[in-house]
Amino acid sequence: MSKPRPLQLVKPAPLSDAPDPGSGAARSLLVKAAQRGDVRAFAELVDAYYARCLRFAMHMLANRGDAEEAVQDTFVRVYRALPGYEERESFEPWLFRILANRCRSAGARERRRSEFVEFGEVPERVTGHRHDETFAWREEISRALLALPAEQREAFLMRHVEDLTYDDMAIATGAGISALKMRVKRACDALKIRLTEDRGARRD
Amino acid sequence: MHDETDETIIRIAAALRPLPEVDPAQKARVLVAVAAERERARERRRRVVQIWRVAGGATLLAAAGLVVAVSLRLPPAREGGKASTPTVVAPAAGARAPATLGATLAGEARTAGFKTVQVVFRAPAARRVSVVGDFNAWDTGSDAMSQDPVTGLWSHTLVVRPGRHVYAFVVDDSLWMRDPRSPAAPDADFGRPGSVLLVGQP
Repeated sequence: MSKPRPLQLVKPAPLSDAPDPGSGAARSLLVKAAQRGDVRAFAELVDAYYARCLRFAMHMLANRGDAEEAVQDTFVRVYRALPGYEERESFEPWLFRILANRCRSAGARERRRSEFVEFGEVPERVTGHRHDETFAWREEISRALLALPAEQREAFLMRHVEDLTYDDMAIATGAGISALKMRVKRACDALKIRLTEDRGARRD
Repeated sequence: MHDETDETIIRIAAALRPLPEVDPAQKARVLVAVAAERERARERRRRVVQIWRVAGGATLLAAAGLVVAVSLRLPPAREGGKASTPTVVAPAAGARAPATLGATLAGEARTAGFKTVQVVFRAPAARRVSVVGDFNAWDTGSDAMSQDPVTGLWSHTLVVRPGRHVYAFVVDDSLWMRDPRSPAAPDADFGRPGSVLLVGQP
């Protein structure tokens, strides 16, 4: 046999046939399909959650490259752990548990790499030339966020940016609900103080 | 305890909420990494079942590595049909699209237990092309192709077991394309296009 025998050409089904991952029911169908080994369903899950995971990781790690790596790692681990995923758990907190873990490990690596950076000092980022009000405000927020202890930052982001419930956050972090409420409260207080001080300082 | 209604916190959350821009190449890399993970898992299972073959296989692989593909034939491109329009799955910003695409299986050489297959891919503008498939765990680092400076064709000799294989090309680490001249694989990985390679018994 010198040439490959052609098999029949099979046109892949358009991705738009897959359920819209927007609704909870459709999403759980997708997760179930991925669990059975449907690779297209898994690709859909990556599509549906990639940007959100990247947002969380970028706020946690403040570095795009590290964040992308953490997200990639997350999906590989999700894939590996999928057979053990139980349907009564909901997917999102389960995903965020893996993601938060990856961010914690990456954060620990980063801290080891930059031990000389004084505690509390956050390196200024190169921001290009845009200096309008909104942009400056965002930069201030990122800096204030990075100055928080990692577990407060994580809790704040899950609650106020990712809109997880405290129950889901308990699944995602392994911490108790009252501890989480305390973290969120401390984070809010610190952010408010820091941001109002910063603004005051700027006006002087 | 609840700060949900605090105006400053609402403004802070609103500023943090916009989703970041996603680099499609990064997203594609996630799927490549997951495909590699699946292949590793399969390989682990295979190893358990076929452990007795491993020692023999390693010797054969060493022997196969010495064999150079004997011929490089380039049959003319098949025009028309779906197979001649490769699907670009993850167009990366900044990645140059290959000017013309086309690939062919050019030669098969015989070795003990393994076969070598010459794979050729036309992408003159590409900076890097590698072959990924079940035979190398979909690893872009395993089978890098080399480019002929005159023709611009990329080629590589694969050493594979006889049987059915699914493979694809990864151009500049970002474009995943199936071989337009081989049958499309119905079980393409993660919705990525793949092609089927049938290698005859030695």
